[in-house]
Amino acid sequence: MSNVMNNEPALVVQDLHACHQKMPVLHAINLRIEPGKVTVIVGPNGCGKSTLLRCMARLHKPSQGTVRLGADDLWQLRPQQAARRLALLPQAPQAPEGISVGGLVRYGRHPHQGLLQQWSAEDERAVRHALQATAVTALAERPLEQLSGGQRQRCWLAMVLAQETPLLLLDEPTSMLDLGHQVDVLNRIRRLAAAGRAVVIVLHDLMAAARYADTLVAMRNGRILASGAARDIVTPELVRQLYEVEADVLAAPGDGAPVVVPVAAHAALARGADAARVLHAHP
Amino acid sequence: MNAPSSSAEKLQPLVPAASMEVGLQLLRCGRFSLLFARRSAWASLGLCGLLAAAVAVALMAGSTWLSPQQLLSVLRGQGAPGLQLLVLEFRLPRILVGLLAGAALGLAGCLIQALTRNRLATPDLLGVADGATLGVFVTLISSTAGMFGPWWVGPLGALGAVVLLLIAAGNLGRRGQRLLIVGLALSSLLRAVTELALSRQELMHASALYAWSIGSLNGRSYAAAAPLAAGLLILLPLTLSSTRRLALLRFELEIASGLGLPLRTTQWQALLSAVLLAGLAVGVCGPIAFVALAAPFIAERLVGGGRIALLSAALVGALLVVFADTLGRILLAAAELPIGVICNLLGGPFLLWLLLSERNKEIS
Repeated sequence: MSNVMNNEPALVVQDLHACHQKMPVLHAINLRIEPGKVTVIVGPNGCGKSTLLRCMARLHKPSQGTVRLGADDLWQLRPQQAARRLALLPQAPQAPEGISVGGLVRYGRHPHQGLLQQWSAEDERAVRHALQATAVTALAERPLEQLSGGQRQRCWLAMVLAQETPLLLLDEPTSMLDLGHQVDVLNRIRRLAAAGRAVVIVLHDLMAAARYADTLVAMRNGRILASGAARDIVTPELVRQLYEVEADVLAAPGDGAPVVVPVAAHAALARGADAARVLHAHP
Repeated sequence: MNAPSSSAEKLQPLVPAASMEVGLQLLRCGRFSLLFARRSAWASLGLCGLLAAAVAVALMAGSTWLSPQQLLSVLRGQGAPGLQLLVLEFRLPRILVGLLAGAALGLAGCLIQALTRNRLATPDLLGVADGATLGVFVTLISSTAGMFGPWWVGPLGALGAVVLLLIAAGNLGRRGQRLLIVGLALSSLLRAVTELALSRQELMHASALYAWSIGSLNGRSYAAAAPLAAGLLILLPLTLSSTRRLALLRFELEIASGLGLPLRTTQWQALLSAVLLAGLAVGVCGPIAFVALAAPFIAERLVGGGRIALLSAALVGALLVVFADTLGRILLAAAELPIGVICNLLGGPFLLWLLLSERNKEIS
C-alpha cells in the first residue's frame, strides 16, 4: 500500500472497434487502466468482454482505434517486448502433459530470456517469488495434472506473476473454482494490485466483481454501459440493462459493497404490478 | 513487493535451488547461461555412442564380413585394396547417406509434430513424399534413357507439393491441422497422378520408379550425401536454436503468444525447415516410411518430461536408418532388402504399439 502510485495509466484503449468473423463485436470502446487498481469487466455472455481483453493482450487485432501501453502502441511492439509489459492468463488454461509446477512457472520467464541467457539470477528470484506469492512453493516438484483445480489455478497465476509485468490480464480466473478458492485467488489478485500492478479481470460473476473491483466496467452488446466504483454504478437499473433481470441491490454489511439479489419471477411480476400502480397513482 | 524474500536471497547461491527440479543443469558464465535437462544430455551422448557402434557394425556387415581388426586397418589406410574399395567406396557412402537422411527425417518429424501438437503427424502427410516421387517420375519419363534426374528434383517436388498445399489450404490454420487434412487429400491426388501416368509408361520406367519409390540406399555415393549434409549443416543449428520457441508451441496459442512467442514466424520456420529436410532425404533415398513418425516418439520417451527432443530425434532417426539398412543387407543372403521394405516391416508393429501404449496411458 505504501508504493508510490504512478498517475500514468498502465494502458489506454481509445475508440476501439473490433470484429469477430466480420461481425462487429466492439464499438467505440474507451478505457483507462490505472496502476495499483483492479479493473473488473462484467457483462452477459457474448457482450464482448473477452474480445476486449484479447485486444488488450495483443491477441485480437482491432479493426479501428488504438491500444496504448504508456507511450507505445501495443501493436508496434515486438511479441517479446509486449510480453515483458503485460501478461495474460486465458480462461481455463491447459498445460502440456507431464509438466511440473516449477516447469510451468519457469515458462513465465521466457520473455526475459534469450538463446544464451537461459536462466539468470533474476529469473531465479522472480520464480521463487511467484511461487511464494501464490503459496505453491511446496508443490514445485509435483506434476501439474496431479493437483486440484484450486491449486492448479494458483500455479497458473504464479506463471503470469513470474513474468513480472506491470499489467496483468486475467480472463475468468475463478470460473472453475469453489467459493473458498475463488475468494483466495481474488484476494491474492487484490494484493498484487496493492503492490502497484495494474490488473484487469474479466468476470461473469457480478457479485464478486462488485466486491473486488476498484473500477467496475459494465458491458453489453459490445459497448461500455457504465464504469466507475462499484457502489456508484451498480443499481437495479444497471442490472436490468445488463442481464434483463429484476434485482434488488443491497449494501454489504461489512464494507458497503453492492450485493445484487435477483428477484424471483413471481415476485418480479408482483413488483411490476406495484410499480404500475405507483405510476398510475402518481403520474 | 519483494521485501519479504530479499534477505533470504542474499543467502542463496547462484545455483538454482527452490524453483528447480533435480534433473536440470545450469551452466553460467558472466551474463550467458544455459539451462538443460541432464537426461537430455545423457540421452544425446548415449545415442551418439550407439550411432558410432551401429556405423561400425554396418561397415563390417554384409555379403563379405570384416573383422574389427580388418575394419581398423582399412580405416587406417592399410589392408587389401579390395577391402578398401568395399568399405570406403561402397559401404561408407551409403551408410553416410542413410545416417544423414535418417537425421533429417527424425528432425523433420519432430518439427511437424511440435507444430501440429500431433504425434501421428509426419512430413509425408503434407505430401512431401508424394511430391518428391512425382518430381522424380517427371524427370524419369522425360529422359529417353530411363534415368533419374539430378538430386534436387526430389526436394523440388516436395517443396512444390507443399506450396500447392499452402495455396489449397489458404493458411496454416490455428494448429496446422488444416494443413494435415488438406495435405492428406493432396498427397493421394499426387499419388494418383503418378500412378495414372505410370500405368501408361513402358515397363522399364515403371520398374525403375518402383525401385526408387520403395526407398533404398543401394549404390548411393558421396555425391548423394553432399546436399543432405549441406541441408543439415544449415537447418540443424537453426532448428536447435529455436528449441525454446518450439517448446512454447506445446501450450495453447493464447498462452504461447502471451509469453512472447512470435507465433507465425515460428510456425513458418518449423514448417519450411521440416519440408526441406524431409524433401532432401526423400529426394536422395526415396520415401522411407515411419522414421519421421517413430524417431521423435522414441526420442521423447528417452528424454522424458514431455520435452521437445530435437537433437535426440535426429540421432534416433539416423540410428534407425543405419540399423534398418544394415538389417536389409544381411537378412537375405541372396539379395538385399531395400530399406523402405524394412522400415515398413518394423513400422507397422511400432505404430500398433504406439497407439496401444497411448491408449493405456489414457485409461490409467
